[in-house]
Amino acid sequence: MRKLSSILKAVCVLALASPLALAWAPPSWLPGVLAPSFEAALQASFRQLSVTLAATLAVTTLLTVALGYLSVLSMRFGRTGASILNSVESVPSILVALFCYAPVSGYLARHASGASQTVSLAVFILAAALTALPEAVRSVAIPLGDLYHRKYSLSFRSYGFTKRRILAVLMGSRGMRNTLKRVAAAVVLKTLVLDCSFGFIIQLGFGSYGTPAHASPGALIAAHRDALFDGGTPILFWLPSLLLVLISLSFLLTLGDRKEVAA
Amino acid sequence: MNVVKAPPVSCAGFSLALGDRPLVQKLDFAPAHGSSSVVIGQTGVGKSVFLKTIAGVLPARTFRLGGSLQVHGIDAYVNGRKTGLEAWSRIMRRGLVFVPAESAQAMNPALTLDHNLKLLAPESRAAIERRLTTYFGLEFGAFARLYPDEVSGGELQRITLMILLSRQGDLVLLDEPTVNLDRQLRKRFIDFLNEEILPDQEKTVLMASHDLDFIQALKLDHAWALENARLAPLEELPRATGFEKRTAKKSGEPGLVIEHLSQRFFKRGIFGERTFAAFTGLSITFDRSTIYGITGPSGCGKSSMIKAILRLLDGTKGSIVLDGEDLVRMKPRERGTDPSAFLPFRRKMAVVQQDSRFAFFPDQRIRDSLKHIARAQNGRGTLDPEEVQRQLTKVGLASAHLDVHPRSLSSGEMKRMDIARALAAKPEVLLLDEPFAHIDFETRTQVMRAISDYMAESAAILIVVTHEDFDLRYFVERSHDFPELVGKVQGR
Repeated sequence: MRKLSSILKAVCVLALASPLALAWAPPSWLPGVLAPSFEAALQASFRQLSVTLAATLAVTTLLTVALGYLSVLSMRFGRTGASILNSVESVPSILVALFCYAPVSGYLARHASGASQTVSLAVFILAAALTALPEAVRSVAIPLGDLYHRKYSLSFRSYGFTKRRILAVLMGSRGMRNTLKRVAAAVVLKTLVLDCSFGFIIQLGFGSYGTPAHASPGALIAAHRDALFDGGTPILFWLPSLLLVLISLSFLLTLGDRKEVAA
Repeated sequence: MNVVKAPPVSCAGFSLALGDRPLVQKLDFAPAHGSSSVVIGQTGVGKSVFLKTIAGVLPARTFRLGGSLQVHGIDAYVNGRKTGLEAWSRIMRRGLVFVPAESAQAMNPALTLDHNLKLLAPESRAAIERRLTTYFGLEFGAFARLYPDEVSGGELQRITLMILLSRQGDLVLLDEPTVNLDRQLRKRFIDFLNEEILPDQEKTVLMASHDLDFIQALKLDHAWALENARLAPLEELPRATGFEKRTAKKSGEPGLVIEHLSQRFFKRGIFGERTFAAFTGLSITFDRSTIYGITGPSGCGKSSMIKAILRLLDGTKGSIVLDGEDLVRMKPRERGTDPSAFLPFRRKMAVVQQDSRFAFFPDQRIRDSLKHIARAQNGRGTLDPEEVQRQLTKVGLASAHLDVHPRSLSSGEMKRMDIARALAAKPEVLLLDEPFAHIDFETRTQVMRAISDYMAESAAILIVVTHEDFDLRYFVERSHDFPELVGKVQGR
């Protein structure tokens, strides 16, 4: 019964996150009930979002595991790292993103090609990783430190294992794997919110789809905000919004998935 | 008019199994309202699991249930299935107090003790403060603003016990409440239960314990024995008996000489780091072939002494001499790895820590953990599988216990597994921190016999940190009160 509910939950999460996969489907698969230009923009923005989420997730998870591990391994590194990440965390994430874009804004304005898109993506990943890292590293370092210092260090150090090896084993334990899964869900959720709100603000400010060559569902929503007024087509505003809500819900479901630990 | 109240717990054909292993079979059990009962039984028979089932905190993934169980006349389990949120909310509103064996785990680490109190027992503040002062000599006000990790384990346990036992509720479930209490506190806790909890005719108390000295001192109405998955009433409680100890092997080699040892810890505060002393001025010689017992109140530094001997702490001053070498000079700091000169000494020492659940890798079968441990201890002290098997048999476990994950064993079985592992490593220095906690008295004598057999074969240095009278009476040969040994304990 429990297995069935787990399968149903997994199916539900996949179904909710499916707009990200559908964005990669050939245009002929789309129903074609909306204007072709809108459908193309919708698909492009969600395609861009899926790339941003996947790339940010990969970079941030890698950095989180490395920094979380090193923070517990070396107390000095942990304290210094925590101070830096805390100061980054004190700045609103949208400002961090704008700050990261500032040095390359000239380059982005001059290039509207693939190079601009790549640089834009790289800068956004950097900004998203910076804003997600403090909480992610803390979420890994605290339980890992607790497992080591309060539980496993005495016995395992007395057997002759090094701290490095004990931490590596604990990092791969079921409890830590579940923690990492929740951290990953939190990272993609945070990135999604940042990407859309950033795209929304840029669209309002500059009137184009996000920064040069950085299409975002948030920018698409901002571009079609007039659709809510008389004579407009509200679905142009609500469709991307609804899809974003569904995707967010799938991440929230993963976030709330706390595994039961045997007594 | 007298109203006959529904039994607070009522089992009908109730069964409970861990995998294929039945713990409770077809149980019909309904203690009367206002009564007090204890369930005794050997380690691992399922006493704690039974209480956790009644409390509704059992992980349903791991255990299989059958039959029905009502709490306060409300269906808690029907045909082996836990009923829904609505039924359990009604049960909780009627009042159910569960005190787990590791009672401090009931506290939220992110909240201060004051906030924890407000969350757990907001209506009982006055009673909690009075009881803490009267029975445990603690002023709650001095601890209210501290977080759980800022007080010692013993203080936290006393505060948690009083908060939980002062909650309003007709049904009180106590799981091994004396496991980490020192002798003095145990006596006061017995007074508290006899004076304030057990005489209360509105409260039904159901307790699981293997501590016969403790149970005998309580004014309980009924005693039950859980054996072979059956719960049977007991006419009288069994008596704890000792065992005949083998003579330890004698040796002319020097033991462990500790001189002027002090241990300091670093604590982070608002104005940076500050140090406090766990203990200072410890000077003692532990001879070989003698079983030393170290007693003392919780938080006095006994476990820190063990960690200092193992050289797993920073801030140690003084000398610890083994085989003519000063271990403190050889390894002054703990940086997560041992200097090569220290490695032979690492292999000479073995420890059984307080909580043996953390003595093996969490996601590996114990057999695989032992292989890794053997590899880490290559050279002298390598774990010989045959020796492991021999020690397992001695402590009453079978080789089948090696093929399970740590989470599948009870606390007592884990403890015995850890002791077997330590004995199989053939250490020269064996450090046991509360080695018999969670182990019932019958099995305890078996484990004590296994350790004394080891002492008869090897002239080892054996130090046992313990709180229990039974251990001091039947096992320990020379006991020391730690606060007297160090003269002066600093810090709080």
